[in-house]
Amino acid sequence: MVERVFPRTPRRPARQPARQRPRLRLLLASGAASAALVAGTVIPLNPLLPAPQQAQAADGKKVLTVAVSQSVDSLSPFLAQKLVSTSIHRLTYEYLTNYDPKDAHTVPGFATAWESSADKLTWTFTIRKDSKWSDGVQATAEDAAWTFNKMMTDENAATANGSFTSNFKKVTAPDPETLVVELNKPQATMTALDVPIVPKHIWEKVGDFSKFNNDKQFPIVGNGPFIITDFKVDQYIKLKPNKDFWRGAPKFDELVLKYYKDGDAAVAALQKGEVSFTSGLTPAQAAALKSADNIKVNDAPGRRFYALATNPGARSKDGKKFGNGHAALLDPAVRKALFQAVDRKTVIDKVFQGHAVEGKGYIPPRFSAYFWEPSADQTIAYDPAEAARTLDTAGYEKNAAGKRVGKDGKPLDFRILCHATDPNDKAIGKYLQEWWGQLGIGLKVDCLDNVSDPWLAGDYDLAFDGWSVNPDPDYVLSIHTCGALPATPKDSGATDNFICDKRYDDLYAQQSAEYDPAKRAELVKQMESRLYDTGYMNVMAYPNAVEAYRTDQIKSITTMPEAAGNLWGQDGYWSWWSAVPADDGGGSGSSSSTGVVIGIGAAVVVVAALGLFVAMRRRSTAEDRE
Amino acid sequence: MTLEKTPPASADPSSPSASSLAWARRRGSVARFWKEYRTHRAGLLGLAGLAFIALIALFAPLLVGGDVQSVTNAPGTALEKPSGEFPLGTDQFGRSLLGLLIWGARISLTVGLLAAALSVAIGTLVGVIAGHYGGWFATVVMRITDWFLVMPTLVLAIVLATVMSRSIWTVILAIGVTSWPTTARLVRAQTIAVESRPYIERARALGGGHGHIMTRHVLPNVMPLVLAQTTLGISSAILTEATLAFLGLGDPLIISWGGMLQDAREAGAVSSGHWWYLAPPGIAIAFVALAFTLCGRAIEAVLNPKLGVAR
Repeated sequence: MVERVFPRTPRRPARQPARQRPRLRLLLASGAASAALVAGTVIPLNPLLPAPQQAQAADGKKVLTVAVSQSVDSLSPFLAQKLVSTSIHRLTYEYLTNYDPKDAHTVPGFATAWESSADKLTWTFTIRKDSKWSDGVQATAEDAAWTFNKMMTDENAATANGSFTSNFKKVTAPDPETLVVELNKPQATMTALDVPIVPKHIWEKVGDFSKFNNDKQFPIVGNGPFIITDFKVDQYIKLKPNKDFWRGAPKFDELVLKYYKDGDAAVAALQKGEVSFTSGLTPAQAAALKSADNIKVNDAPGRRFYALATNPGARSKDGKKFGNGHAALLDPAVRKALFQAVDRKTVIDKVFQGHAVEGKGYIPPRFSAYFWEPSADQTIAYDPAEAARTLDTAGYEKNAAGKRVGKDGKPLDFRILCHATDPNDKAIGKYLQEWWGQLGIGLKVDCLDNVSDPWLAGDYDLAFDGWSVNPDPDYVLSIHTCGALPATPKDSGATDNFICDKRYDDLYAQQSAEYDPAKRAELVKQMESRLYDTGYMNVMAYPNAVEAYRTDQIKSITTMPEAAGNLWGQDGYWSWWSAVPADDGGGSGSSSSTGVVIGIGAAVVVVAALGLFVAMRRRSTAEDRE
Repeated sequence: MTLEKTPPASADPSSPSASSLAWARRRGSVARFWKEYRTHRAGLLGLAGLAFIALIALFAPLLVGGDVQSVTNAPGTALEKPSGEFPLGTDQFGRSLLGLLIWGARISLTVGLLAAALSVAIGTLVGVIAGHYGGWFATVVMRITDWFLVMPTLVLAIVLATVMSRSIWTVILAIGVTSWPTTARLVRAQTIAVESRPYIERARALGGGHGHIMTRHVLPNVMPLVLAQTTLGISSAILTEATLAFLGLGDPLIISWGGMLQDAREAGAVSSGHWWYLAPPGIAIAFVALAFTLCGRAIEAVLNPKLGVAR
């Protein structure tokens, strides 16, 4: 029965084994090769390769390289809405006013002084004389007037910042140093007009503003501290300092925003000294970089909120309802119960691992003037038992299978839209599934690369939502007004979450006409309170900005706010404008310890495989040799 | 290997009916197959490895319990190093990585098996039909097959996984409908070879229709080839599943080995040096793929003696 072919018999000398071994050997060899390959690709910059690129290039140019991952939506200031694009515009164009890096109060920008008339309807800005466009033409009030008039008359030019000019009646420039803006009704954001002023003599040649992306001719004419010299989609954006900048030229010789779509690759590049700065670190990366030489980790309170948005029934201005949001979410009790079952403390401790602050009101505590927290009896605290009671009293009983049943007799099953690119969304999705599962509510986590389509169509129940808040909160407040709803179901409005609430809108109108900062802050807080009570926007956390830079390339850099502030995505150009290169401009020669460890690991694998290979070879030829 | 005739089945002393004869013949050929298979040391090694993984996957609920996936009841803290309590350390939620690795075997194996089965089923159907009918019909079908063959499988799978909702069924479908052309070509060749044999002509002369010939005569004869192809297909399906999950196209809430690699990448485990998060799922994927390949090669060598001599 047991006829072994394997043992060598004199008649058939080892033909079978000989046939098998090369295959095994080949497998081992290819295994070793692929292991080495994998090690090489996972560690994007092979630590075995020498010559790291440094801040100081061969010709002695001091280059500041910033790792970015977000794609540029447009370089046209009239279209750009993404953080990376608006940050570039901050660097390349002047705005009428700027924010102080210390406490974000309004400071002069393109305008040196401003005043409003007694009736609050006419604003006069004095434009500075010492600002020139980078092609040598003097920048005047005429450029500012043309920019605003374009936004008021051309709908396509109002895409990005139209909310600032929708209330403008007339903008004129009586002389090169005076800009006069007449308003329909008082507007509180007049000293916080985040609109890049563009050169009229360049932009008046542009035909269709909806299609012009400002990325064909370089350098791009501007009057900010930097000038864009080159741009390749998802590869890099190069900027050179504007030597004539009125506040003083930046210290670095070049600023490069380099694309790293993978966070780990950006961190490896930072460890190698290939980039000077990277942002959006994970907790593990921050912990690892903290102990690295020549690297400073900046863990600053962020300007973002991270919220759970609930579809209030999508609708357009013409009154049509659309989308397929779950009907049960229109019941305030359900929204309340859902949020009662969300343990915000666990979100902070486990998902953000301490790099965030527990969510309260809509505006992050960093903007202390507008920060609001719910009173004790208003707070929707974490209490799963209370959440179950809330659902019980509202009539959502559990069925035999332990699932809550809606008014239509069907089990409650919600969907949540999550950004596939955001690990936090996925992580919190897992927690929500379990927390709400215990309540008897099902949750399907829909992680998509492009959440915009279902979002704009109203085809969602819940969604992970977040916005960066400006020192002036007008914009983030405006996206929840009825006025921001799309005109028809086919259009896309500025609305964030289709919220339309009469009381909120009344308060919004009041605050935008209130020039007294204290009174306006009070109104903003009332709006936040109202928003909290509706339960459509439940803020879970204020994530920190976790960033790191190389101290052997950047000697000093201004954070905003100056005490414990962030560097990337500031409300001004302070960080990159103020960055001072380190004296020796690098000399970081040593690659990271991690890279070395993994490199050694890969080498060991290769050596072991080679050893095995040789051993197998010797064995296979053993019979011939003996 | 041996030239002796198959010993007649011992278990029927009384009058043998047609079906009992057929069963005896089948038993005999299985025994012969196993005898031959046993001679392939690598094949046995692969089989042992597979049995091991399959047992772990089957008994995962007993070994680690379904609770291992829970983030709210995670026993550890984030990204702990390997220790007595957590032999492979923990992930960013504090879950035991060993538990996740064991649990992940279920998804990886399920997807690998189902996707390979789907792919081979499509390939066999297309191959048999094209080989049987021939003519312009076969030309058209085989050109379509060629078109799928030259299409980069991964790109097509990524497109499919992107446009459809994220679930393991999507991944199975994406792998299945993109990897069938090789099987189709092999099966078609074998079908043509089988159909040129005289007994097929005899069956036709006796009135056997297309369906009868394809299912009763051709299919049993291409089955060995299909079996070998399936075994080899599983390993590539498991690798594709891991790739898709690593690229973030799988269901992010389901634990699979590729998904674990993706989670590790998202947690920044590579740059922060948490090798214990990355290495085990990678090694597990390589191990299972290797085991299936070893088995597949051995089956191929047994069923196709020509292949053995040629090598």
